[in-house]
Amino acid sequence: MQISPQMQKPASRSGVRRMLAGLAFVAVLLCGEGLVAADAPVASEAQVKAVFLYNFTKYVDWPTEAFARTNSPLLIGVLGDGTISEELKKVIVDKTVNGRKIMIQETGKEEDWPKCQIIFISSAEKTRLPAILAKIKTLPILTVGEAGGFLEQGGIINFTKKDDRIRLEIGLEAARLAKVQISSQLLSVADTVKGKSN
Amino acid sequence: MFKRPQLGEWILRGVVAVALMLATVAEAADNNQVPKPSADLENLTLEQLVNVQVTSVSKKETDLFASPAAIAVITQDDIQRNGFTSIPDALRMVPGIDVAQVNGSEWAVSSRGFNNQFADKLLVLVDGRSVYTPGFSGVVWELQDMVMEDLDRIEVIRGPGAALWGDNAVNGVINIITKSAKDTQGGLVSTSFGSDEQSITSLRYGGQLSTNLFYRLYLKYESEDGFANSAGNRMPDGWDALQGGARFDWEPNPNDRFTLQGDYLAAYIGGTAQVPLLAAPYMTNISMVNAKSDGNVVGRWTHDFSPSSRLTLQMYYDHAVEPDVQIPSTLDVYDFDLQHRFALGERQDIIWGAGLRDSENDSPPSFNLTFYPQRSYTQIYSVFAQDDATVVPERFHVILGTKLDHNTYTGFEIQPSGRLLWTPSEKQTVWMAVSRAVSTPSQVYEASRYNQSAFPAGGVPGLVSLFGNPNFKSEQLLAYEAGYRFEPARSWSFDLTAYYNVYHGLQAYQMGAPYFEPTPVPHLVFPETAENLVSGETYGAEISAQWKPLDYWRVAASYSWLHMRLGPINPTSASAGDSPQNQFQIRSYLDLCHNVDFSSAVSYVESLPNQNVASYVRLDLGLNWRVNQSWDIGVFGQNLLQNSHVEFGSYRTPQLTEIPRSVYAKITYKF
Repeated sequence: MQISPQMQKPASRSGVRRMLAGLAFVAVLLCGEGLVAADAPVASEAQVKAVFLYNFTKYVDWPTEAFARTNSPLLIGVLGDGTISEELKKVIVDKTVNGRKIMIQETGKEEDWPKCQIIFISSAEKTRLPAILAKIKTLPILTVGEAGGFLEQGGIINFTKKDDRIRLEIGLEAARLAKVQISSQLLSVADTVKGKSN
Repeated sequence: MFKRPQLGEWILRGVVAVALMLATVAEAADNNQVPKPSADLENLTLEQLVNVQVTSVSKKETDLFASPAAIAVITQDDIQRNGFTSIPDALRMVPGIDVAQVNGSEWAVSSRGFNNQFADKLLVLVDGRSVYTPGFSGVVWELQDMVMEDLDRIEVIRGPGAALWGDNAVNGVINIITKSAKDTQGGLVSTSFGSDEQSITSLRYGGQLSTNLFYRLYLKYESEDGFANSAGNRMPDGWDALQGGARFDWEPNPNDRFTLQGDYLAAYIGGTAQVPLLAAPYMTNISMVNAKSDGNVVGRWTHDFSPSSRLTLQMYYDHAVEPDVQIPSTLDVYDFDLQHRFALGERQDIIWGAGLRDSENDSPPSFNLTFYPQRSYTQIYSVFAQDDATVVPERFHVILGTKLDHNTYTGFEIQPSGRLLWTPSEKQTVWMAVSRAVSTPSQVYEASRYNQSAFPAGGVPGLVSLFGNPNFKSEQLLAYEAGYRFEPARSWSFDLTAYYNVYHGLQAYQMGAPYFEPTPVPHLVFPETAENLVSGETYGAEISAQWKPLDYWRVAASYSWLHMRLGPINPTSASAGDSPQNQFQIRSYLDLCHNVDFSSAVSYVESLPNQNVASYVRLDLGLNWRVNQSWDIGVFGQNLLQNSHVEFGSYRTPQLTEIPRSVYAKITYKF
């Protein structure tokens, strides 16, 4: 309804700026000895996920047939997210696990998938997700995703976000199918572990 | 208020402030090589890693950057840092949106001009439920409340959104979206208290009923004392509100999602009004407490036929009881919506849908307002379709769409829109749009009588009455918009929008010949009738910039300019509303240390000469300390520069209410 405001005289004004100093003072108190850098780190989603992907190489065991040779590198495939592979590159520089170099396979090409030990399928690949999983879920590949319903579609580890923190969901059924062994340390930090055999 | 501080005190404060700045600068210098925290992250244990807080630069922001409309999003992070306590409060941060607080409980919110307490050119949806009041156009902001922590985001689209959203999405659409129950697991208790007896307490608990079925329950109580008027007297515009609700989200399989949610709010809202009398003194001030309540239930089903084909069905029922002393109303709304989005071939993204909305409004005659008939039934049915065609992959899109609907008062309305989107690179977006949108009349314009004021008219009382008009048509807009977004470096981005809007048939009241009315006492009526009299144009620009010089410091600034040229009658008529020509704001978000963040905002809002509202500058500060996973403590100050200022006049009374400085603390416990 267009009923105009009724009218009156202009506003009065005055100014005291106590709060500003108060807040600054509280900030100084809280920060105490000279503003050290934050003790609980804040990072970008891509950084945290990249570090998780690197960590998975340490907390997951692959069957021997997963690798062509005993000294073949461990390949992490990243599908559809440039930022995560950028971050991952920084993380895995000069890293080895069980004597294997860690490398990134950055390609959407199907024929490259079986060479990988970890494949991260970003949410950008959501439309292709069922097709990709159908192709690789019986291979010895740790599939990692970040989409709702990832586990239900046969993925192994899913990143979820809760309270601005990256949490894990793990599907043991799918891990068994892929013959990858997930360590109990990794299982213990997961929010959800599906298909626990107890 | 406060005693004026002594010189010594000022010096002490100066020293503290300078120390703080130096420390910050020193820290900045220390960490100049910043974006390399991955090295630290690598050394964390798995337990620590799952507790690292991530900043949410998500795909949504990328989508936003490449969207062919003037769109902005308020995130949960924005809400927490700024300590926003209400939706209108949060909307202040969006460039181009005009938010003014009328008094302790009432607000006027608009986009691109026409601000009014009954601003009727802005469509507001809460989880897909329209909160636009069909009895008398506009949004009752004091009834739109929620646990602020449960908000996922607020999407604000400036400019017409009618091709998708339908009637009344003329100058903007606000989509308020709450989190899924899955994302609000666990308990939350938050309480804030501060000046003017302001207190807000929220309780929420979220749990899991089975593997795929999540729920949350909440309760919120809010109360505030009245504000003072310009004479310094406290006004009876205090209020108390109790609200509760529940939400269930069920994902039985990856392709189906069901949501059932409901809220109920009961509020006692005080206020003053100046109402006409048919005897001396003709106008009298009354104090009132309006008991208002609103309940709603929303059910939604989303089904994915395939990864590129999604069907959404939504139904809701809303029941609002507002026995307002001046504008009483009981409203029942039943709504059904269907939407299907799918990819047609490689290059076409199609959305189409249909909707039906029935509204029943019952407004018993009040001193001011009579509806003819008292109970009215209105219906809108609509269909829409939009095709987002990729002409050149990743570079050029053409988006064409239209809504066609039928409403009880004006029959069929067609609201098409065409948009071009050009993304020459990932760092640049250019868009253009031409859209038609209409604001459909509410019953007030069609069949009502509003007794506005009385005066002595030579021996008998005179009564100015505003009448609806059954021939009143929709107000029409043809809007031309263009926008440009540019990210020259990772730390910089700009967003520019310009618009030229042509309006026809805007409402204005036309004076008629006075006539005699014998009851209740003999008096003269000076009638004014709603007509589609006004046309004209508005144009303006909104400019915003984001600067992130450091990983822990972000600055956002925006400027909006609006010019309105409406006629033939004087634009001081209500149809033009009252919006500031120039608005400017700058906001800084600083992550200090030990999980402490500090936000500050300075905003300038130009005067509203028609209302004698002077221009004002606001300073709002917020300090948050996330003590640990369970405890958050925040201290916030708003309007710190002045004891109080006026933002907007009320339709109820000529007495302006002062919006005071407010300081409050907030404690949150999560478990």
